[in-house]
Amino acid sequence: MLTYLFRRMLLMVPTLFGITLVVFVVMAAAPGGISVQSLVDGSNLDAEARQALEDYYNRLYGLDQPAPVQYLRWLNNISPIGFEREADGTLGAFSLSKGPDLGVSFRYGRSVSDLLAERLPITLLLNLLSIPLIYAISIAIGVQAARSRGGRFDLASNVVLLGLWSVPTMLVGVLFIGFFASEQYWRWFPTGGLIRREAVDQTFLPWLASGMDVLWMLAIVALATTLLVWAAAAASLRMRRLGGAVLGGVLGYAMAAQLTGFAPGALHVVLTLTGAAVLGALAGIPGTGLRIALAGGLGLMLGIVVARAAGVQVVQTGYLFERAWHLVLPVVVLSYGSLAFLAKLTRASLLENLAADYARTARAKGVTEETVLWRHVFRNSLLPLITVSATLLPSLLAGSVIVESIFSIDGMGKLAVEAVQTRDRELVLSVTLISGLLTLAGYLLADIAYAIADPRVSYD
Amino acid sequence: MTEQVQRARPWSAEVIGALLVRTSARIGLAWIAVLVAAAVFAPWIANSHPLYLVVDEKVSFPAMRHLTAADYTWFAAFILAIFAWRLRGPVFLRFVGWFLSVAIAGLIAWVCVAPPTLVIHEQYRELEASGRIDFVLRAPIPYSAKDYLRDYGDTGIEAPLAASDGRVHWFGTEDNGADVASRMIHAARIALGIGFIATGIALIIGTLIGGLMGYFSGVVDMIGMRLVEIFEAIPTLFLLLTFVAFFGRSIYMMMIIIGITSWSGYARYVRAEFLRLRDQDFVQGAIASGLPLSSILFRHMLPNGVAPLLVAASFGVASAILAETTLSFLGLGLVDDPSWGQLLNQAVQSSTFNWWLAVFPGGAIFLTVFAYNLIGEALRDAVDPHTQRAAGGAAR
Repeated sequence: MLTYLFRRMLLMVPTLFGITLVVFVVMAAAPGGISVQSLVDGSNLDAEARQALEDYYNRLYGLDQPAPVQYLRWLNNISPIGFEREADGTLGAFSLSKGPDLGVSFRYGRSVSDLLAERLPITLLLNLLSIPLIYAISIAIGVQAARSRGGRFDLASNVVLLGLWSVPTMLVGVLFIGFFASEQYWRWFPTGGLIRREAVDQTFLPWLASGMDVLWMLAIVALATTLLVWAAAAASLRMRRLGGAVLGGVLGYAMAAQLTGFAPGALHVVLTLTGAAVLGALAGIPGTGLRIALAGGLGLMLGIVVARAAGVQVVQTGYLFERAWHLVLPVVVLSYGSLAFLAKLTRASLLENLAADYARTARAKGVTEETVLWRHVFRNSLLPLITVSATLLPSLLAGSVIVESIFSIDGMGKLAVEAVQTRDRELVLSVTLISGLLTLAGYLLADIAYAIADPRVSYD
Repeated sequence: MTEQVQRARPWSAEVIGALLVRTSARIGLAWIAVLVAAAVFAPWIANSHPLYLVVDEKVSFPAMRHLTAADYTWFAAFILAIFAWRLRGPVFLRFVGWFLSVAIAGLIAWVCVAPPTLVIHEQYRELEASGRIDFVLRAPIPYSAKDYLRDYGDTGIEAPLAASDGRVHWFGTEDNGADVASRMIHAARIALGIGFIATGIALIIGTLIGGLMGYFSGVVDMIGMRLVEIFEAIPTLFLLLTFVAFFGRSIYMMMIIIGITSWSGYARYVRAEFLRLRDQDFVQGAIASGLPLSSILFRHMLPNGVAPLLVAASFGVASAILAETTLSFLGLGLVDDPSWGQLLNQAVQSSTFNWWLAVFPGGAIFLTVFAYNLIGEALRDAVDPHTQRAAGGAAR
C-alpha cells in the first residue's frame, strides 16, 4: 500500500507539469499573449518612466525571453529546489533550500501565495460543507428510491432528480438572489459575501436580551421541532398529507402576505396552493428517516421565526449565525446538481446489487429484507459513489467559479475569473496548479477510500 | 435453438425505434424540434423588417433582402436534412453527405449573398408613422435581435407588456432595449450550433486518440492516458476561461475551444471499447488479412464500439450548451450576438432584479439541457442490451 501510494504521488508530478504546460501554451500561443507592452499599455507615462517600467517587468518576469525559457524559469521558481534568483533577474547558484515561489501577481501587485492563502480557504469552506451534505442527502434519497422501485416515490424522484441535474447553476443562483435576497421580493437572505461587516465584531453565539428570552426561544424551538418530528414519524399517511398541506398552505399565505399584505389576492391563492402541494407531497414520502430530517429542519426554522414574532428580543445575531446565514444559498446552489447525480447513481448501484446472486442467497437463508439491504448490499453499493467522489471535487471547483461570481464571494473561483480577464499570467498558472493539485489529491483519496471499502482491491 | 431467422434490420433503425417508444425521449426530441424550427425560421419569426411591404404602390420584401449568409446556410441545412432523411443508405454515409453539402452551401452563401451592410431597423416604423405604407405584413415578433429601438428613445429594461407607447414585448426588453423574445429565438442558433459542432469536434479528437490508445496499448496507451488525465485534472471551466480570455470571442472560436476541452471522456470510452475488441476474432482476422490500419480502426472496430459514444455524445451536447451559457454568463461570451447566458446575466446586473430576464432565457437553457439529458438516458437504455432484456421481462 505504501509503495503504491508513493508511486501514485510520483506519477502526479508529470501530470501537474502537463497541466501547467497546457495552460502556459494556451497563454503563450494567444495572439498578443503576455508581453511587456500589454502590461504597460494604458498607463499614462512618459517615455523614460515607461522604459523603466518595462525593464522592471522584464527583470521580474523574464518577459523578453522566448516562451520555452519563460516556462522553465517559472518552473524553477515554483520548485522547492533549484537555482536562486538574483535581483537583476539572472539565475544564481543551485540551492537545495530556496523554497517555492509562486511569483507576484501583475494586477494586484501582491505575492500570489498571499492571495491564494486568502482566497483558497473560502472556496474550500464552501466545498467541504457541500460534500457531506451531498453524500448524506443523495444516499438517503437513493436508498429510498431503490426500496420503492417502480413505486410513486421512485418515479417522482427520478423525474425531479433528472430535472435538478439539468437546471443550470447560474439560473438557480440568479433566481435565489432575485427572489430570496432582494429588496423587491422576500429579503430573507443576504445578497452576497460571507459575513456582514458589523457581525465580525459580534459575539460568537447569538446574544438574547435576557435569560427569560433564552428560555422562551429554546422552548418554542423545541416545541415546534418535537411536534413536527413526532407528526412526521408517528402520524398515519392521511394525517401527514393533511397536516403537510395545511402547514404548506399557511406558509404560502404568509409568504404572499409579506409581499402584498394580508388582503387575499391572486398571489395569495397561487402561493397557498403551491405551498400546500409541495409540503403535502413531501409529507407523503415513504422513508421515515428522510421525513424526520425534513420535519426537524422545518421545525427549527419555524420555531425561530415564531419566537421572534412572539417578542423574543435578540440583541445580536452573533458571528456563527451570521456566517451560517450567508452560507445557506451558496451551499444549496453549489450542491444540488451533484446531489441529483449522486442520488441517481446510488439508486442504480443499489438496484444492481439487490438483484445480485449474493443478495438472493441471503434472502434464501431467511435474512430479512432490511438486513439484506443494510448489511449485505449497502457497503457494496458504495463503491461507485467512491469512484465518483474523485470527479466531484473538480466539478465543485468549477461550480464555485459560478457561485462565487453570483454571490460576490471572494474565493478562488472569482480570483480565477479575474485572473484570466486581466491576463494575469502568474495568477492563472498558480490557480491552475492549485486546482490541479486539489483534483489529483481527490483522485488519490478516492483510491485509498476504495481500498478501505473493498478488501478485494489490492495494490501491488 | 434458432427456430426463426430474424430479418436483419440495420442497427441504427433498431436504436431509433427503441428510442421513439420512450415518452421521455419523445418529449426531449419534441423540444429540440421546436428549437430547430426557431433557429431555422428565426428571420421569419422575429424581424424588424416586414415580410411583405407595399409603399407608394411599390412592392418589396425587406425581410428577404436582409437575409444573411448564415440565414441561408441554416435554411439549406434544414432542407438538406429533410432530403438526407428521405434517402436510403447507411446512416453514417448520409450524415457525412449532409454535412459536406451543408458546408458547400454555406460556402456558396458566403460568397453570393450580400445583404445591405447598413441596417436601419427604424425605417419601417418611421414609414408607418408618416402614413405612406399601403400594406404591410410583419413577422409575428416585429423586432430584430439587434434592434435596440433607438427611435423610441433610451428605453432600456422594461417588464413584459409594460410599454405604454404601443410596443408589445411578450418577454420584456433587455439592458439595451432589444426585445427578449426575439433575442431568445435568434440565440437558439448559437445553442444548437455550439452543442452540435463542439461535441462533433470533441468526438473526433476523442475517437482518434482513444482509438489509437486502445489499439496499440503499451507505450501509446501510457502516454495517451497521461494526456487524458491532464485534461481531466484541469477543471474544464478554468481551461475554457483561459482559452476564451486569451483567444478571441467569435462563435467559431467558442465551438473549437469547447470541443478541444471536452474530448477526454470520449477518449476513455473508445479506449475501453477498443481494448475489449482488439482480441476478438474478427479484428484479428482483419489484421491477418493485411488490411490497412485506418480500415481496421474505423471500418471494423469503430462501428462495434459506437454505442457508448452515442450516449456520451448526447450528454455531451447538453454540457457544451451549458459551457457556452456559463461563459456568456460570466461575461466572456459573444459581444453583440444574442445568447441565453448573456440575457440571464443581465437579470441581476442592474440594481434591480428583472425576473423576465431570468425566467425565460433560464427556462430555455434548462429545457434544452433537460431535453438532451432525457434523450441521453433513453438512448442509454435503448442501446444497453441488459436493460432491454429487463424491460422486456418485466410485466408492464
